[in-house]
Amino acid sequence: MRGNRAFVGLLLLPALFFLIVFYVYPTVFNLQNSLTDLSLFGLRRGGRWVGLRNYVDTVWLTLISVSVRIVLGLLLALLVNSDTLRRWRLATLFHVILIVPWATPPIVAVVIWRWMLDPRAGVVNKLLMVSGLVPEPVAFLSDVTFVWPSLITIITWNTLPLVTLTFLASLKAIPSEVLEAASVDGASKLRSVWHVVLPHLMPAVVVMTLMSTFWTFNNFVYVWLTTGAGPGLYTNVMATEVYLKAFVDGRMGYSSALGIVMAAIMTAFGLLYLRFVVRRELREAF
Amino acid sequence: MRAEPTPAIETRPLAHPVARRRRAVRPGELLLLATALVSAIVLVYPTAWVFFASFKTQETLFSGEFADYTLENYRRLFASGFGVHIGNSLVISLAAVLISTFVSVIAAYVFSRRRFRWKATIFGGVMLGQTFPWIILVTPVFILFARLGLLNTYLGIVVCYVAVTIPFSVYLLVGYLESVPRSLDEMAIIDGCPPFLVIWRIVFPIMLPGVVATATYAFLLCWSEYLFALALLTRTEMKTMPLVLYAFFGEHTTEWGQVMAAAALTALPPLLLFLPLQTKLSAGLAAGAVKQ
Repeated sequence: MRGNRAFVGLLLLPALFFLIVFYVYPTVFNLQNSLTDLSLFGLRRGGRWVGLRNYVDTVWLTLISVSVRIVLGLLLALLVNSDTLRRWRLATLFHVILIVPWATPPIVAVVIWRWMLDPRAGVVNKLLMVSGLVPEPVAFLSDVTFVWPSLITIITWNTLPLVTLTFLASLKAIPSEVLEAASVDGASKLRSVWHVVLPHLMPAVVVMTLMSTFWTFNNFVYVWLTTGAGPGLYTNVMATEVYLKAFVDGRMGYSSALGIVMAAIMTAFGLLYLRFVVRRELREAF
Repeated sequence: MRAEPTPAIETRPLAHPVARRRRAVRPGELLLLATALVSAIVLVYPTAWVFFASFKTQETLFSGEFADYTLENYRRLFASGFGVHIGNSLVISLAAVLISTFVSVIAAYVFSRRRFRWKATIFGGVMLGQTFPWIILVTPVFILFARLGLLNTYLGIVVCYVAVTIPFSVYLLVGYLESVPRSLDEMAIIDGCPPFLVIWRIVFPIMLPGVVATATYAFLLCWSEYLFALALLTRTEMKTMPLVLYAFFGEHTTEWGQVMAAAALTALPPLLLFLPLQTKLSAGLAAGAVKQ
């Protein structure tokens, strides 16, 4: 069907045009840029990989905040879905409550949390002082002990609802006969969560783990707006390093090289995503 | 399957009396309710506080007082020209969402309903757009736009937002289309209906709920986007709300009232859009994950 091929091409053209201009062209540009300066090789200086520290920090941030999100998301979803909350008719209310942080734009989330974590006026410090947990205000965003946990708190607050709502939707899809059968067989609550509910949630856990990995690994906004990669360069993740090198230090080649490394790592994860999520979800289409 | 229906029914009467005695709370339940209360406060307090604080005067902002509500913060915010930025954000986000959703609906139809060579590869390529680090697009796009004279223009930033929202929109829409029976549009094609009309008259109306949800996501993405706006919109009169809000935050940290008013106005449209759509949105996103 030649007519079919031309028609399909025509229909896909608009979407592919945008994607080629915005993804393929910049990738080629970055590759070229990183190779003309030999920066891709220049990332290794004097036997040490420059940029490795940013990489390690990024991996840690991603690993921890993704785990926190998945675990808290699961717990929160189980809580909202529990018989108790349903009986008190709080489950619906919780759906609405979960929308609030999710719909709050990241920039607003950062502004609020920076305000809340402020050493002088922030409500978190006030609470800590009143309850006598700390003798003097904590500088959450400029003290190296607290800056990572603070960042992870902000990211988690803003992104946890999406994870939780996905798990909740998945929980609702468990046929009630399955759970009833488990309780008839004499399984305790905990055992049925472990053996029936969690296995059922696994596909959703895989989707959310992969998606939040992309979102966190690639994210520039949270770190940049919250700490500006500081104090010093203590929270300089890969995304902020790419930005700093290109726009502050003017070292385009280095910036491009680091960007290519980022893209390569995410493409590897992307292939997992294609294999385990997209392929399975859209099985019938292919 | 050995799920016998009779015992399941027998357990029912046991569950009901507990449900009826709602006042009697067991310690375990109390713990659950307390956890729920704390979670609810942590989730809602920050955003609620912004709206609350935006109506307080500079003097009472930091105290817990509930007196002295004022529109002064908003009045001064608009006097400083914030209205222009609201307009910019609205025009850019709405235009980008319309174009991106239109393009994505067509692409999703093709991926879901048509067979052609390289389909899996092309679709995979589009999906990889979701995993791509935007930060590395900034420099090349900036240089390209500078050459084409697209910096500080609506056209430039709209084109950019269309491109970054397409992959996720196509993903969601193909997911929705998979849940729509094929028989309808296939029948129309057999009846000799022109393919473009099939998309517009048959497929589009059926998948409208999915289209609305997808457009809402795309809107949230464009509305709160910071990185591309930072690079591509450098003239003050072109800037969107997130840029100006952050600039406010940096410059006059003493003007907390104005910062809060700007933050409240930035958070308001997504909240208004999301709250009514809540259950549909989360169910839609999870559609793929829920399917076994």
